[in-house]
Parts: sequence; C-alpha cells; structure tokens
Amino acid sequence: MRLPTDFYKIWAFSVRSALVNRRNVFAVFEMLFWPGVAIFSVGLLTRFLKLDAETVTFILIGAVSMNTIQIAQLDLSYALLYSVWAKSLKHEFMAPVRLTHILVGAGLVGLVRGFLVFVVMGLLSMWLFDMDLSRPGTGGLIIFMAGMFLNAAIIGASVLALVLRFGQRAEVAAWAFSYLMLLLCGLYYPVSVLPPGVREVAQIIPLTYFLEYFRHFYGFPLNYPHPLLYGFSLTVIYLAFCYALVHYTLNSALQRGTLLRLSE
Amino acid sequence: MHTAIIAQGISKSFRTGVFGPRKQVLHEVNLEVASGSIFGILGPNGAGKTTFISILATLLRPDTGQARVLGLDVVKDAARLRERVNLAASGAHFLWCLTVEENLRFYGRIYGLGGRALAAKVGELLDLFDLQPHRRVTFERLSTGLKQRLALAKALINTPELLFLDEPTTGLDPEMAQHSREEILRLNRETGLTILLTTHNLREAEMLCGEVAFLKEGRILARGAIPELQERLGLGDRLSLFFQDGPGTLDYGGLPGVLAFHIQDNRVDLRVDRVEQRLAAILEAISQTRSRVIQVQLKEVDLAEIYHEITH
Repeated sequence: MRLPTDFYKIWAFSVRSALVNRRNVFAVFEMLFWPGVAIFSVGLLTRFLKLDAETVTFILIGAVSMNTIQIAQLDLSYALLYSVWAKSLKHEFMAPVRLTHILVGAGLVGLVRGFLVFVVMGLLSMWLFDMDLSRPGTGGLIIFMAGMFLNAAIIGASVLALVLRFGQRAEVAAWAFSYLMLLLCGLYYPVSVLPPGVREVAQIIPLTYFLEYFRHFYGFPLNYPHPLLYGFSLTVIYLAFCYALVHYTLNSALQRGTLLRLSE
Repeated sequence: MHTAIIAQGISKSFRTGVFGPRKQVLHEVNLEVASGSIFGILGPNGAGKTTFISILATLLRPDTGQARVLGLDVVKDAARLRERVNLAASGAHFLWCLTVEENLRFYGRIYGLGGRALAAKVGELLDLFDLQPHRRVTFERLSTGLKQRLALAKALINTPELLFLDEPTTGLDPEMAQHSREEILRLNRETGLTILLTTHNLREAEMLCGEVAFLKEGRILARGAIPELQERLGLGDRLSLFFQDGPGTLDYGGLPGVLAFHIQDNRVDLRVDRVEQRLAAILEAISQTRSRVIQVQLKEVDLAEIYHEITH
C-alpha cells in the first residue's frame, strides 16, 4: 500500500457510496423503516406466542443480526452495481484501482450503516421487549459485530464476483444470497432443528458459530466446542476464496469484454 | 521519433451467445503511433475500432499479439500504464446522482489525487471546459453537450501522457463538436499530449489527425498521413477545366501527370498527380490547340474520397 494514494482511492469509493446513500430516500428506509418493522413484527409475534424471556432474546438476536448483515453487505454489493447501472464501469477499471480499494472503500460505509442498524434495533429491542443487550459485555458485542461484518463482507464479495460475471442480472443476488445464508445458519431457531443434510450445510457457514457464541451469553448451551475458532477460521477461508473469485472474474471480464458490454 | 504505441499482430474474437461460434473482430492488427501526435482510426460501425482502442486502454485483453503503450505492455504492465493514460468515449456515462464536481473528485481520487492537488485539478478542469456554472448540477440533469464536456474533463484528471478518445464528438451539436475539436487540438499542441482517436467523422479526422488508419472488418486496410495516402492510392487532385467552345479533340489522358479524365459538354474533369507541379504544363498543352480555357477549378482529394477508395 502506498499512502496516501491508496487512502485516496479507498476514500473515493467510501465517499461515493456515502453520497449515493445520502441522496437515496430508500437508504433511510433500509436503515430505519425495515429494521423497525422487523423488530416490531418479530417482537410482537413472540408476545402473541407467550414465549419466555430467553426464547424472545434468542429470536430478537436473529432479527437484529439479519438486518445488520443485510445492510452491511449492501454497500459492498452495490459498489460495482452502481457503476453497472451508471454504465461507467470501464472508467473505474481504466483507473489504477485494485479490488482492495473498492472492497475496503465501499465496505467501510457498509460497516457504518450496519453499525447504525445494530444500534437502532438493539435499542428498540431493549426498550420494547426488555432484551438485555449488555449481558455479553463490550468484548462479546465487539466480537459478535466483527463476525457479522465479516460475514457481510463474504456475501458482498460474492455478489461482486457475480456482477463481474453476469452484470445487472446479478442484482437479485445482492438480496437473495444473504437470505439463503441467513436461512441456513439458524437465525430464528437452533441449527439442531434443521433437517439432516441441511444441518451439515449450516456447519460450514461461519455466522452459525458467531450466533452460537453470542447466544451462549444468554444461557443457551454451545453445540460446538470452540465457536470463535471455527467461525473466524471459516471466515478467513471464505474471504480468501471470495477475493480469489473476484480476481478471477475480473480477469475473465477483461478477456471476455464484459467490462465494455456493461458500460454500453 | 519516439513511439507512443506499438501494436503487433493483435487479434481478438468474441463468442456469440453461450455456446455460439466465435466472431473474429480483429485480425492481426499492427500499428505504430508517434509520441505527441493525433492519430485517427477510421472505419464504419463494427469495424473493430472500439475493440482495438479498448485493448490499448487495458480494458480488454487480446487473444494473440502484443501491444506496448508508452513503453509498457498493455497486459503485463496494465496497472502502471493506467496511471499514465485516460479515456473519453461517446455517450458519456457517469453516476447519475453525483454532481459534476463530485464526479470529477471521485475520478481524481481513484487516480490517487487528494487534498489541495485534487481541489486545484478539479478547479482547473471546471474552468477549462466551462463547467464552473454547472459544477453543482447532478449528472442526470446535464445536457448531452455538458455530459460530453465532463467526459473530456474526466479524461484529463490524471494529466495523462496519452489520451484515448472513442468517438469523442458523437452526440454533440455542431458548435459544441467544433469547440471540443479545437480543445483537443489545443491540448495536443500546448502539452504534447499523444491522442489516439476513433471516429467515423472524416471531417473530424481531417481537422485533427496527422495520420490515420482505415480499419474495416478488423483489418487495417491502409495507414499514413493524408497526403501520403492520397499519393499512394494514386488518387491525385481534381482539376476541372471549363472551355469557351468545347474541349476539342486533345488527348487529355496523355497530358503530363493526368491519371484519369472525364469530358462533359464544355467541361473536362482531370485527376492529376501533383497538380501544383503539372498545372502550367497542362495549360500550355491546351493553349497550343484552338480550345480556350475560361475557368480552372482545383480541388484536393479529401479524406472521404480516400475512405471510399479504400473501403469499396
């Protein structure tokens, strides 16, 4: 890295992402409205079902995690989709930028937005449904958030690879990918209730272990002995794989002329 | 003479559809462009102009062949080369919700500019392209002309040594197109910027380019300076002679330097090799007959005729 040129390149994608969010009314909806709706609907459902406090916490952790990851991964996924929609992709790749600049730059905005969603939803959960978010302590919260943001980065990087391969058609993947992952990792239920076969798939998703780790502070037993070790190890493997995949699809796009087609 | 671009045996094909056959777009294209020149690649739509320029601009990799731009290999040294070149294309496209200034700042940053250097460069380009009054207007609200001006401004954000212009004036009104051409010429003259442009506007090529290459169906059919091409193709200049009482029976084809002739009523059209050197001798030969020339019209062969001659 050559500071400060690398810093400026990363900052370019952060500023662009922040400006687009600021001028997009739906960004406010994404950060406040939908997370608010999610907490209200899930929380009220738990009341209707007369669930005990521990189970309510279990489910609310799922709701908070889902929305935080969804929002955090969007900025990363959209980093190239903005350029595809604007048909300016070739100008970005004509410049001396590396994938790291794009991933880190857009990822930073995702991190900030994800953090805000986590705070908003956490406060609503505490205020309306008596969830005690402070029980895991600062360290537990930071580790859990790091796990969520790294998982969001995996989803975002996968979508980037799909955009470079399939262009605008990959837009739907920006949402679908995260829902699929969240479905499998035991968001609203323990992974033990998943059917055989699917349970094994859940074990290769890092978020499964971070949720497990966070929930154990609320008295839920650990199904896996070292959740953080598994979670972070899998995260490193997936991030390395996603980075290589994005690299490969970029090289392939340069060979196939995809960058030009997406700029027409 | 320093060479800014050397392309040797560049070929490129694309697959049509998922399982379809490959379509050859470029066939072993060779080209050299001198530093500090404006070089034009001319050809009809689908000739392979954009594909070729995209390979040189590192946006596309050739199937075979090698190209060096500013001494750097377009594939192996792409990252270093991108710092020294830039591109403006027709149909300018930038992020719709960013203003003119924000778009320029974004591109400035991704070329590694920041702080005062970025502010100064953006200010300079806003002035140069008369974009100051529009700097807070979002891209989606700009007129086509302003969008194209922004595209040219963006192409200079990193003070490139070589500029690729892909149909730079397409979509502009005549006045703005002319202004852009003058700006391109001024940049080339004042800064020595090497420019490779593609166009199918022959007048534009005539005005801007010292040398041109004609590309058709992925092959370079001819290249060189315009007078050089004219001579090589044997097109000569057009000389029209108007007679008072008809052209008489003189063998016009046998006159010095005459390549072809056509008689119509009181007028004879001649194609003459180096007309400025031959005119006196031609008029002298005619004066020895009884025919009397009352008007002489001289017209140099233009690029359109060269283009027609080569591509048909």
